[in-house]
Amino acid sequence: MAGIGSSLEFSGSLTSSSLPPPRTRIFKIIVIGDSGVGKTCLTYRFCAGKFPEKTEATIGVDFRERLVDIDGEKIKIQLWDTAGQERFRKSMVQHYYRNVHAIVFVYDVTNAASFRSLPAWIEECQQHALGSEVPRILVGNKCDLRDSLQVSTDTAQQFADSHSMPLFETSAKSPGGPEEGTHRDSDHVEAIFMTVAHKLKSQKPLILSQPPAESRGPTVNLSRARDEGGRGWSCSSC
Amino acid sequence: MGKKQKLAEIHQALNCDPVDIETLRRAAVSKGGLLTDEIRRKVWPKLLNINVFDLPPKPGKDVRENHRDHNQVLLDVRRSMKRFPKGKQLIDIILDVLKCHPQLHYYQGYHDVAVTLLLVVGERMALALLDKLSNFHLRDFMDPTMDSTKHILNYLMPILEQVDTELHDFMIRAEVGTIFALSWLITWYGHVLSEFKYTLRLYDFFLASHPLMPIYLAAAIVLHREKEVKTTECDMAMVHHLLSRIPQDLPYELLIAQAQELFDHYPPSVLAKKAALQSRKSLSISTFQAFQLSTLHQRPDSVLQRLTKNPAPSSSNMALLPREPSSLWGQGNRVVKMAVWGLSATLGAAVFAVAQTAMEWGPEVLLQLF
Ligand SMILES: Nc1nc2c(ncn2[C@@H]2O[C@H](COP(=O)(O)OP(=O)(O)OP(=O)(O)O)[C@@H](O)[C@H]2O)c(=O)[nH]1
Ligand SMILES: [Mg+2]
Repeated sequence: MAGIGSSLEFSGSLTSSSLPPPRTRIFKIIVIGDSGVGKTCLTYRFCAGKFPEKTEATIGVDFRERLVDIDGEKIKIQLWDTAGQERFRKSMVQHYYRNVHAIVFVYDVTNAASFRSLPAWIEECQQHALGSEVPRILVGNKCDLRDSLQVSTDTAQQFADSHSMPLFETSAKSPGGPEEGTHRDSDHVEAIFMTVAHKLKSQKPLILSQPPAESRGPTVNLSRARDEGGRGWSCSSC
Repeated sequence: MGKKQKLAEIHQALNCDPVDIETLRRAAVSKGGLLTDEIRRKVWPKLLNINVFDLPPKPGKDVRENHRDHNQVLLDVRRSMKRFPKGKQLIDIILDVLKCHPQLHYYQGYHDVAVTLLLVVGERMALALLDKLSNFHLRDFMDPTMDSTKHILNYLMPILEQVDTELHDFMIRAEVGTIFALSWLITWYGHVLSEFKYTLRLYDFFLASHPLMPIYLAAAIVLHREKEVKTTECDMAMVHHLLSRIPQDLPYELLIAQAQELFDHYPPSVLAKKAALQSRKSLSISTFQAFQLSTLHQRPDSVLQRLTKNPAPSSSNMALLPREPSSLWGQGNRVVKMAVWGLSATLGAAVFAVAQTAMEWGPEVLLQLF
């Protein structure tokens, strides 16, 4: 009964032989939202580059990561894929809210209830002292299922605006839209997490995984994010 | 001991009157476990004090209607369907148990336990086993919150501390916590093992053991990987990642033996004292003794079959009653009634009935009784 979290998963950079050299910066991003919205699929898509054939319920917290290159700097993006069921969130996931650099809220565009849960999730994050200074984004997943849409872009956008978050709509299944292949270049999921990474890189006070990195990258122009559907963070704020 | 000899011993134990439960437990724990599914179908019910001739009826159609956990169960079962085709039965037995016991709350991972039982023993027997397990071994996981589960997880680090202080301190420094072992504990490893035969082997072990045994096995696994752990970066993410992925080729027989050894050396009561684990009521732990007592006086299947064929008048009336969740089988009384009707009036049944009632009053009452 091994879930996607164990045997099937791969994560490109975790074997000891390919451990990044010290001073690789690490961005920790926690992914939260109701059960079934596709958190595991999204994180898997980003770290493994494909839609998982099957996922199983996430129990507790799963962890995926990927090394990316941002303006010549290798950065490790750590995704914390959390359990959606409420009982886990209340007492188990807490531990993992600490020290995260960004939060990704996920709802399912074909499931209005998952959208209605968002305030509770946001509240939860605030309780764990993750205030508005921690970058947060909102992701509406499963956009490939157009016929069963329950949450309109407008509604979601309004909500995102009221919480000062950028909204992204995408599909872990076919992130480049139905016509396109799943090449990373045309991949919204890729763009979403990279946007967050860029945002984090451009933030001044950075929490480093290892003691001082003397170089700090220049502010990054986030030209891509907007094209890819991100709204809410104006470029100037990056 | 050879396989043949073990088989003979198991059969002999099954035919004793009362059933030789100690021998069955030893067989389930010792090398190779219960060997085949055929034997599991005979022994698992005995380990849980279940009369296979008086099983609950198949869940009715109405079981799937409006239960608070219905959607979550559906979602979890559907996602595990590719591997396990019996989705409908799985949903039914889960919801049936939940409906019978409103105090039990579904958790993601419960379906992994249910499916393991279902695949080995079939629907009706799986229902009986799941019902019993949910009220005893898994009981703590089924509270409205996971606080009791957290408490059980808290036994892990003290075990490590006893055996390997260095490893323990390393993990404390990394602040890894114990969530990496959460799915191991609440699914009895069913969620994380890709080879079903290993899952079954572990179920043999756990069905014959104390409810905390999955934690002792977790400790044995972590200790087994001690070198890997210590050479990992001392960081929560790295250690969590390393530990939460169970290598596929673990030497399970060895680890089971080690877990048993750890349990014998550092029983829960000792750990609780040493580690000053905050005293929290664990239903699984506090009812275990009564549960074990209740298994001591079971009749062999040959006798049970005879008794069930020529049942006492009262029990034949019961058999004619239509299945109604709110009537005789419902509302948490099923287990008691099964014990009382299914067994002849032995001490076991009496003890068990007491245990059930007492559980509703709270474990203190229970402890006073034994
Ligand atoms: N059509 C479609 N299905 C998707 C998409 N993303 C996820 N799914 C499906 O939705 C179901 C749930 O996906 P998961 O990634 O397991 O959901 P989760 O949020 O991790 O759920 P929990 O672990 O229970 O919290 C699975 O059956 C996926 O195949 C998507 O973009 N499109
Ligand atoms: Mg998941």
